[in-house]
Amino acid sequence: MGSSTKKKNEKKKGDFQKTKLKVGKTRPTNTNATDTSFAAKSIVLKQQNLGESGRDATTLFNHNLSLLSSKNETQRRDALQYLTAACISFGVANLPQSPGAIIAKAQSLILDGNSDVRTQLLKLLKVLPTTDLGSLDQILLYARAGMAHLSNDIKLFALDIVDWLLVSSPETLMACPGGWIKMLRTFQNLLVWQGEAVNGVVTHGKWSATRSTSNKLGSSKLLVHQLNTLTMFLTAGLTPPPIDPLAEVKRAALVFPLLETQCHLLPAKSEPFGYLNLFGAVRDVESEVYADADERANIFNELGMLDIFKAGAREAKKEAGEVGRAASGLEKALRLAEVG
Amino acid sequence: MKRKLAALEKVEADLPALQRKIRTDPSSYHDDFVNQYSQYQSLYELFEASPTTTDDSGLVRLRDLVDFVSHVADCYPSLTKGFAGQLTRLLEIHHVTLESELRDKLVGSLVLLRRKETIDSQALLQILWPLLISTPSKSLRALLFSKILNDLRTSNNKATNHKLNRSMQTTCYNLIASNPSSPKGLWAVKLTRELWKRQVWADAKAVSIMEAAALSQDAKVVTGGVRFFLGGDQEREEAADDDSEAEEGVDVRKLKHQAGINKKNDKRMKEVREAKKKIKKQERKKNAPHPLNFSALHLLNDPQGFAEKLFQQHLQPSQPKVKLNLEQKLLVLNLVSRLVGLHKLTVITLYSYFLKYLTPRQPSVTSFLASLAQATHSLVPPDVLEPLVQKIANEFVSEAAASEVASAGLNGIREICVRQPLAMNETLLQDLVQYRKSKDKGTQMAARGLLSLYRDVGAEMLKKRDRGRDAALKLRHTTTNEGGIAAARRFGQVEEGGIEGLDLLEKWKEEQGLDEDEDEVKGWENWDAESDGSESSGGWINVESDGEDIDVSDSEDEREKKQKADKLAKTTTSEEKENMDDAASRTTASLEPEAALAREEAKISKLATTRILTPADLTKLHELRQSTALLNNLPSAKRRKLAAQAAAAKAAKHADDAVTASDITGPSKLSHKNNKEERIAIAKGYRDGVIREGGREEGNDHRSTTARRKEKKAAEGKSTTNREKARKKNFMMTLGKAKRKGKRSLVEQRGILKAHVDRGKRGGKRGNAGN
Repeated sequence: MGSSTKKKNEKKKGDFQKTKLKVGKTRPTNTNATDTSFAAKSIVLKQQNLGESGRDATTLFNHNLSLLSSKNETQRRDALQYLTAACISFGVANLPQSPGAIIAKAQSLILDGNSDVRTQLLKLLKVLPTTDLGSLDQILLYARAGMAHLSNDIKLFALDIVDWLLVSSPETLMACPGGWIKMLRTFQNLLVWQGEAVNGVVTHGKWSATRSTSNKLGSSKLLVHQLNTLTMFLTAGLTPPPIDPLAEVKRAALVFPLLETQCHLLPAKSEPFGYLNLFGAVRDVESEVYADADERANIFNELGMLDIFKAGAREAKKEAGEVGRAASGLEKALRLAEVG
Repeated sequence: MKRKLAALEKVEADLPALQRKIRTDPSSYHDDFVNQYSQYQSLYELFEASPTTTDDSGLVRLRDLVDFVSHVADCYPSLTKGFAGQLTRLLEIHHVTLESELRDKLVGSLVLLRRKETIDSQALLQILWPLLISTPSKSLRALLFSKILNDLRTSNNKATNHKLNRSMQTTCYNLIASNPSSPKGLWAVKLTRELWKRQVWADAKAVSIMEAAALSQDAKVVTGGVRFFLGGDQEREEAADDDSEAEEGVDVRKLKHQAGINKKNDKRMKEVREAKKKIKKQERKKNAPHPLNFSALHLLNDPQGFAEKLFQQHLQPSQPKVKLNLEQKLLVLNLVSRLVGLHKLTVITLYSYFLKYLTPRQPSVTSFLASLAQATHSLVPPDVLEPLVQKIANEFVSEAAASEVASAGLNGIREICVRQPLAMNETLLQDLVQYRKSKDKGTQMAARGLLSLYRDVGAEMLKKRDRGRDAALKLRHTTTNEGGIAAARRFGQVEEGGIEGLDLLEKWKEEQGLDEDEDEVKGWENWDAESDGSESSGGWINVESDGEDIDVSDSEDEREKKQKADKLAKTTTSEEKENMDDAASRTTASLEPEAALAREEAKISKLATTRILTPADLTKLHELRQSTALLNNLPSAKRRKLAAQAAAAKAAKHADDAVTASDITGPSKLSHKNNKEERIAIAKGYRDGVIREGGREEGNDHRSTTARRKEKKAAEGKSTTNREKARKKNFMMTLGKAKRKGKRSLVEQRGILKAHVDRGKRGGKRGNAGN
């Protein structure tokens, strides 16, 4: 009883209460005071410039390209969508930016947390012309990071990217530093084919849990994809480029009295001595460039990877079903290395 | 199925969970680790390719992976061989541009790897120290400094890691020595000072670092080095005290009591056990011998050279390489004078340097006076000091000068003359002594101080009526009897040292009539046996009274007994003779213990100079000393004892202690009359927390005794009395009893009254008659 009247009184008073000011006390803050005490080191813009009127297509294209590093997921996705549409409408010949520049901007999205953004990225990559992709070092790094990622979705997506790379420009891919052995090592790690441990269960002299090639909870989707991509990769790497039997004759006829002219001319491709790695960081066996299919086959054998992969494929084949089919495909690809 | 999968995926992405699993069973989770490690590798490569891009939008960040790998790296040493190298590379190359969180994580991970002993301290310090010197980021510097400090402390925790210390000290020294004019040397100074404070570094090498710092060419580094010499040791002592104080406060009794009352569970039992262990540890620490730490000033390699260099570099030249302001100059001057006073160095130019600054208008002149007094010692030529004393007297001490000035001047002069009495001439002294008649109390006290000093050390310089009784008697005695042995001490004269009670020992030996050689052999034998037999005790201390072996020797040799008797007779006669002597002297000068002492010293025993004292001798010496101390407690010896105490107090003011400006201004407080505000502040003292700290204001607590007692009890955490509890009891709770009280029947009332009387007889409810 008592409390309720008290509350009522308080409520009544509260609205029109005049705060008493006292001498020597700090003035109470106003209810509408703005707190300016904070000091932010950086300001994050949730929404970036969205107005699109009065700008030509090229600026808009560049603007959307810059939006790829936006903090906002939907904005990134929308930008990717716009770029995809623009690439189609512009046509292969007159893109405002080279495909290499677009890839350089977009490649970091391979590890993006949002699946919509990733699928949209793949769409964009697929509409890009395959002729002038530039150096693929960076995107390969991202792809490898994606393949070893924690999230299964990103793993699968990274495999998609590798597939795309293999289809679009296998030669450039193989010419990247670390494009051969490092990729193979990554596959090896992913498939858990660790040489001595393939048939046994003893590692480092200690007993450990039995290892199965299949993934958790019987979901073999990832494994199948990995095996398929590996097969593609091996095939692309170990198949020598088709030799045109008439090419030599044609060239000789062109520069008739001279012999071996091309050796003495300035090279036509960009960065011809890149393989020497004169100015970059020192490379080891893994990050070396193996330009030739024979070379690749040799190093593949030398490092003892062939046996490991063979054993792994044999094990995987025993699982039958989809996995087995993929594994037998892999075995076929491995035969290329044997021949070489 | 789908939901389950999603959950599982989440778990898989949970690095801390994986970390825990790996820790429990490394071999089973080998593959998971390999996956994560390859993930880390690829992210690392990406980062190396473009260090400025952030990976905030991704699911996994590099810093999480770094954290994870560094936590479990020790489980897979072969896999993660290059890990520490990669982290180091990242830090070394990109530490300027790295985002702060990742950077801190990298530092933290390296320290973690050190803790797990993947890398050693040496390597870690070699990474962190150059970073500390070169990084522009303040927060990173703070972090690195604390990490370096911690690492050095932990690696010196169990036993001193000499190798690491040496290399680190060399690094610090080189930092300062290679480029004396760079301010980076401050880090070496900071580190050394901190480690000195915590007693990790307490050797000459650390001191030599500070020496280099004090002689460097950057003002901050110089002051850092100088401040270390002036206050480092004090800081170390305080830190040690703090440590011992901070660890107290575990109340085992309380914990035990609580454990007895509360529900018993493992946690509480463990608490009690740990508290007990802690107490035991503390006790052991308390009983441990005090670590023998030399002060930094004593560990200097070449004090003379150091003092000269300091003076010549920072004070003497008109255009010094380092521009020091007055405060910093005073610090340097303080150190130089401290060194000069402590080691009795000769830096003659120092004294003429003071001449310029000895005017009352000079800011912080008291510090200059204190430094001058500090720089004075018995080996400073009086000719050098005389003009200084004269100048102080002329500038400071006059009737026209303010009372504070006069008293400061007089105190300054006294402090100089305490250390070198020859710096004063007769006329000046007699003039200055006149100020004891001054109206101002401070000046009066200062002049009296000077007077009493010269009564002690040079009474003949005073006028006859100023000498006082004791000094006059002493003077007369020395001039008549000894032909001026103790008369005016000469320059450079050093008092002979002696072993206290050695004469007693000699006398005792004579009384015992021991054959010297045999006794010596016995004494050493005893010691040998002791040291061989018992390994735990030191041997020297545990020698019991050696009366036993003396008895043995007596029984062995009858002839010796006779000899002893003879000698005893001889000694008694000699003693009688001495007594007679004493009596004679008493007639001439009945109240001159000093003179008697001097005479005894005149025939100081040659015991210590002719032979080595055996451990047995030393114990006997100690015994004899104690017994004479007992004798001296007799009333007749009281006067002598008091004099000795005064002398001891004087000696206790060791040369190690510095003279401060407050010593100079000391009694001038008396000449200052409090104004009203100050008086009110003192009167209010007890309410003011700041003033109360002094302890002087306890008397100004105007509360009642009860109130004070209550407060004291409350502060001690003790309970109140029953009366107090009854008084404070909630009124509503007393109502029930009061209501009932009026309605009691007569029989009930009688019972209650009876019980009350009975309780009174018994003395309380439980009856405390018995106990």
